[in-house]
Amino acid sequence: MVLVQAIIDGILVGTTYALIGIGFTLIFGVMHKLNLAFAAASIAGAFASLVAWQHFKDLPVPLVFLISAAAAGVLGYLIYLTCFRFIPLKSPLATLMATVGMLIFLEEIVTHVSDGKAQNYPGMLPDARWTLGPLDIRVDYILVFAISVAAMLLLLALLYRTRLGIATRAVAQQPVAAQLCGISLDRTNAATFVMSGVLGGLAGAMIGSSAELLSNLLPLQLTVKGLIVTVIGGLGSIPGAIVAGLLVGAVEKGVETWSVLARDLCVMLLIFVFLVAKPAGIFGKLNVRD
Amino acid sequence: MLEVSDIVTSYGKIEALKGVSLEVEPGKITCLLGPNGAGKTTLMMTVAGILKPRRGSVRFEGRDLAGQAPRRIVEAGIALVPENRLVFPNMTVAENLAAGAFTRSDGAGIAEDMERMYARFPRLKERSTQAAGTLSGGEQQMLAVARALMVRPKLLLMDEPSVGLAPLVVEEIFRIIRDLNRDGTTIFLVEQNAHMALQVAHHFYLLELGKVTFSGAPGQLAEAEVIQRAYLGSKKTQ
Repeated sequence: MVLVQAIIDGILVGTTYALIGIGFTLIFGVMHKLNLAFAAASIAGAFASLVAWQHFKDLPVPLVFLISAAAAGVLGYLIYLTCFRFIPLKSPLATLMATVGMLIFLEEIVTHVSDGKAQNYPGMLPDARWTLGPLDIRVDYILVFAISVAAMLLLLALLYRTRLGIATRAVAQQPVAAQLCGISLDRTNAATFVMSGVLGGLAGAMIGSSAELLSNLLPLQLTVKGLIVTVIGGLGSIPGAIVAGLLVGAVEKGVETWSVLARDLCVMLLIFVFLVAKPAGIFGKLNVRD
Repeated sequence: MLEVSDIVTSYGKIEALKGVSLEVEPGKITCLLGPNGAGKTTLMMTVAGILKPRRGSVRFEGRDLAGQAPRRIVEAGIALVPENRLVFPNMTVAENLAAGAFTRSDGAGIAEDMERMYARFPRLKERSTQAAGTLSGGEQQMLAVARALMVRPKLLLMDEPSVGLAPLVVEEIFRIIRDLNRDGTTIFLVEQNAHMALQVAHHFYLLELGKVTFSGAPGQLAEAEVIQRAYLGSKKTQ
């Protein structure tokens, strides 16, 4: 029963990993480039909201979340400008290295803002619990789940019901034809970075909030986990990122009941299994765009 | 209507167009023929703004569009049906048409044009909710044409619309080209199929190794020679 409980918890908070995975995969889908600074920017957004929360005492939690999402969205745009906009896209390593530099830079900022230690972060109803037979579920985990699902639905509506969504999918599928339709690659790419940044900032805030702590080590940890989710889900696949996020969350919490030390090891093993057995990920295709 | 003068476009150090000049007259079908590697697609991509010319001008209705962003060129009234169709494979037929109308904001006009496309291409209507990648080659070509027409272009550029299609479908594509022209659209067509192209063209150019080597009306040059030069290039330029 402890294991079932843990797996349910894992699936509920795994939605934050799914959001991070979606962020990586969205940018990859549109630009066919990895943005390694994405998860660090998400946490940096959360730290921006932490600074606001510390400065203006008693900010309501929803506002703290919104600040995190907005800050990470702005950071997403800045990353696009500094690491992609003026860097030759034909060279596969140039943008990758630029984002590695940005990752280190953002991590350094987080270290300074946090004084090198974990900081208190406002929780959502930390003590509320919902008892369901033998299960005892934290209400804030349910909120994390609900907010994440709402954010994903909003993203889907954006992608499938708006002009921006048409532009985004057109650029992802056929960039030359997209330009021939008068769609600007530059604006669409920038919008994609902002969209994924907002999702990431929301995820970062919820990760901090469900622990009531924002750890200064999160930028790197979340980068690794986000990449694992993206690879397991299949690069460029949003449904893949969602399933993989829940899977990684469930495995993490499940293994934790046995040994906290083995937790990250098992997640690493998971990616090893996938790379050997299903290298394209759950929903990914290995073929390359022409 | 369209005046291309002395356009030079290069890939790195290799000049694909070595000073191309030609003209497209309003209301006419103008054809550009030439062998593979002559620079036909490069010219189309340069006019459409995807490639930036190193020098030269592309005047359209008096304005120089050379080197402008593709969006500006679309807004000026030029639409390109690209080589290999390049439909958005995972978007539905209807979404592909909506993408074609991306620069427009007149909702009612867009809906009306979409109905017009469905009337002109009934196959597209039958498949309007299907992913474009599941269509046959001919249907994809019709979709690519319809997507370009959603711009309401004054000038329609078509890059090898018949390539890879069955003969019957090729006939149909050329019938569509004639129809569009009769309805008032000026067409600038790049073709490998010289025989079909000469039947619809009012005027044609031969492009060989990045240079225009002939300009005239069909009939001014024996078809056999046109075909010879369009597929193989002439001896003197080789």
